[in-house]
This record gives sequence, C-alpha cells and structure tokens, in this order.
Amino acid sequence: MNLIYGLFLLSLFFFSYLFIDQNFFYLKSFYSGLAFTNRDQVSILHTVFVLIFFLIYSQILKNIRMFNIPKVKLLIGGTVGILIFSYPAFLSFDIFNYIATAKTLFFYGENPYIVMPIEFTGDSLLLFTHAANKIALYGPVWLGLTAIPFFLGFGNILLTVFSFKVFIALFYLGTVYILWKMTKNLYSVSLFALNPLVLIEILMSSHNDIVMMFFALFSFFLLSKKKLVLAFFFLLFSILIKYATLFLLPVFLYTAVKVIKKEKINWQKIFFLSFLSMFVIFLLSHFREEIYPWYAIWFLPFAVLILKRKIILYISLAFSFGLLFRYVPFMFYGTHFGITPIIKNLVTFAPPFLVLFYYFFKNKLWLKISP
Amino acid sequence: MILKTLTLAILFILIFSRTVHADSSYVLPYPSFMPGNPLYKVNLIKDEILKYWYFGSFGQFKYNLKQADKYLVEAKTLFEYKQYLLGSEALKKSDNFFTQTTINLNTARGEGKDIKGNFLILKNAGSKHIEVLSKLGNEVPESFTWSPEKKKPTILQLKKDIDNSIEIRKKHQ
Repeated sequence: MNLIYGLFLLSLFFFSYLFIDQNFFYLKSFYSGLAFTNRDQVSILHTVFVLIFFLIYSQILKNIRMFNIPKVKLLIGGTVGILIFSYPAFLSFDIFNYIATAKTLFFYGENPYIVMPIEFTGDSLLLFTHAANKIALYGPVWLGLTAIPFFLGFGNILLTVFSFKVFIALFYLGTVYILWKMTKNLYSVSLFALNPLVLIEILMSSHNDIVMMFFALFSFFLLSKKKLVLAFFFLLFSILIKYATLFLLPVFLYTAVKVIKKEKINWQKIFFLSFLSMFVIFLLSHFREEIYPWYAIWFLPFAVLILKRKIILYISLAFSFGLLFRYVPFMFYGTHFGITPIIKNLVTFAPPFLVLFYYFFKNKLWLKISP
Repeated sequence: MILKTLTLAILFILIFSRTVHADSSYVLPYPSFMPGNPLYKVNLIKDEILKYWYFGSFGQFKYNLKQADKYLVEAKTLFEYKQYLLGSEALKKSDNFFTQTTINLNTARGEGKDIKGNFLILKNAGSKHIEVLSKLGNEVPESFTWSPEKKKPTILQLKKDIDNSIEIRKKHQ
C-alpha cells in the first residue's frame, strides 16, 4: 500500500511539471507544452489521477485502525516530502500572485493595496503572473507573513517559489497538529491530512487558505483552554489573512461568552456552527466570483471535528471530490467561457447532491430493490 | 405606425445630435467638499493620513497627482462661484502637488523602476489640467481685489496665476 501510494505521489509530481508555463523560463529545460497541446489526454490523466487519489484515500481511511501514530506521521511526512517539490502553478497561479505582491511591498517598497505589480514594467515576474493587474487581494497579516518566504528566497525566483511552498506546508502541518491535539483521533486527522483536495490545493498549489484556517483553528483551541485574549488575537490574525473567517466571529463570541460565564460548552455544537458558518461563505463565493476548489479548506477542518454528524462528513467529502473536477473543462476546452462554467457547476454540485439523495432516500431505495 | 415613429426618432437623433469629443482622455474627479463645509476639515485630515498610506515613490506619485487633480477641480469650482481668494489658494495647492509628482517619478527612476507608464499618466493629466486651466483663464478677470471685512484687501492676479499654473504643467510634463 505504501509503495503504491508513494509511486502514485511521484506520478502526480511528474504530472504537475506538464503544466509549466512557457514564460516560466527558470524551468525552461522541463517545459514540454504537453498540457496545452494535448488537452484531451491531459484532461483524462487529471481525471484518472483524482479517481486513483480518492481510491487510495478511501483505502487508507478504511484501514486506519491498523495504522499507528508513527505510520500516519510517516504517511503525512512522505506526502509532504514528495508533493512539496511539485510544480505549484499547474492548476492555479496564485503562488505567483503571492510572490508578486510580496515583491511590490518588500522589494519595491510600494503599498500593494495601491500599486499593482504590472506597474513594474520589465520585471520578469510579469511574464508568468496571471493577476498582475490587481492590487493586493489579501489581508495585511498575510502580506506581513510573506516577508519570511520572500526574504528566504534571496532574490532567486525558484528559491522563492519553493520557499513559499515550504512556508505553506508548515501551516498544513501545523493545522494537522492542532487537529490531532483537538481530537486525539487518527481517523479525524487522516480525513483532513490525506484528503486529496487538501493535498493538491495546499501542498501542490500552495494556497494561503490553510494559513487562515490554521490561525482560526488555533484560536478555537486556545478558547478551549480558556485563553480568551490570545484566542481573539489569533482569530483576528486569521481574519486579516483572507477575511473569510470573519464569518466565525459570531460563533467565537458566543463561545467566549460561555467561557466567561463558566458555562459548560458543547464543543460538537460549536464546531458544527463553525462548519456551517464557513460552509455558507463557501457557497456564497459562487455569487461573488466562483467557487474555487481550494475554498473547501474553509470548512473541511471543522467537518472532521464533528464525525458524529455523518451527513456533514459525506457532503464535505463529496465536495472535495467534485471540486477537483472543476479543472477538467478548462483543461479540455482551454477556455473559461462557453460550456466550461456549466460543466464546472455540474461537477461541483452533482456529487454532494447524489450523496444527499442517497442519504435521505436509501431506506426507500433498498426497500424497493430488496425482494 | 411604430416603424414610422422609430424612423422619425432615429432621424431626429441623427439631425439634432452633435459630435462630442473629449480633448483629453484623462478623467478628473468630481468636486469634493468645498471650504466652508464642516466636513472640509475632516477631509483635510483624511488626506494628511492618506499621505502615509501612499508610501513608496509610485505611491507618493499617485497621491500627489490625486491631490493635484482634487485641488484643480476645487479651484475651478470656486472660480466659477467667484470665490477668487479660496480658488487661488486651491490652485496653488494643486501646483505644489503637481510639482511633487515629477520629483516622485525622478526618485522612482533613481530606484531603478520603469517610469514610462506613470510618466504617460502624468503627461495626460498635465494636458487635461492645461485644458481646464485654459478655459478658466478665459472666464476669470485679469485681476481681482478681494476685500474682506475688517481686513486688508488682497489683489489677486488671477490671469497671471493661471498662466503660471499652465507653465508648471508644461514644465513638468
């Protein structure tokens, strides 16, 4: 099993390098252009990869009772060790946006909320940064934090890219550690840590959503330890990364009041409310722009904290599965228009809808099928 | 009947519409709070704070150009209402901010930043400013004696001030 998983991750690692941008001349020798010329094959490959990834994931979860802590640690560590070296911009170019914004602030000394990276004509970053014509989209805490990976890149773009990847991976490990501290349950931890969507969007594509969720979870962890001020401070930290966790504030305040009043806290209820809050903002993002696959990171950590509510878990997993197929229509057609958005919505919502349908009608279905 | 009305309407539009073309593509802002408005001072404080938000040479360039635009519009509005003293003060502020923009761009160039894009913006802004100032120059009197109550009168050389402002724009383009 370990060998199959390792080989699969290695294949995924190689697959990511098919997507190297022609303008990303730092990896010119690895450029093949296959992802852009053989769209149908690449779309099929991506589909197969996602299917196999979920198959392996389900097998690991099924056999999790046979796993001990060191084995799960090895599994997570090995996954990080391989995927950290994957090409980060194979499904999204956000990592380049993070770097461009950090460069605007720390190299050019300009306010990224005022000055766009595109204004630095001649900067090689502009060749492969896709949203250079936007001012900073993220909160000030994120901008401040990016100083660490940016300076650790020592002005070398490749080193900076991988420095950002390591930085994000550390927050992934931090989130997994907090989940372990909160649950002491290997199944819960593995559900999140080995979820293909989490691994692809965080360890491969390096989205900063995990940083936001790390601070949010840490805040609730501190709240459970009755460290109110610190907990509030870290929630604020989380909000000022990507703003989405602002939706957790009512739940946080409700819990904080209970802590102050020294009332008994039903943490399952708190995590359920937190899940709902983040799930609502996840769904609302559809009206703002679109539901990006990595937005699932907003509710997944809370979903694994409330395992008793099976339907929540099933829906979360169904979304994890469906969201990863959102990339296929663009891979295939090479456009964001036409039929692409329709297929995207279909693949996103069909799996959770089918899960819901099965969940609510399974008894009636079985009654009809069985003699 | 509907077709007839539609044809007549189109003909009417074609005959009576006149070609309107902008002299410069650069867009100036709407007038903000004017002196005398209780919120004018609040706005001044806001602008003073914003100066620190617009850090960096490009940031400062944007800030100064924004202020130059704002005070030019303020001056124009005040001149139109014959508030010549306040208008002249606003115009002087606009001149100062406009002069600063070139300094900011020179600083940016010294820092190794490509200033072509921003220089083009400044050039367009300058053209628009000159366009507004030239129109204004035809509407204001040559000079004006401003005589407030219980204070010494001030002679405002309005035409000269506006010509001077145009020269500043030309020099810094």
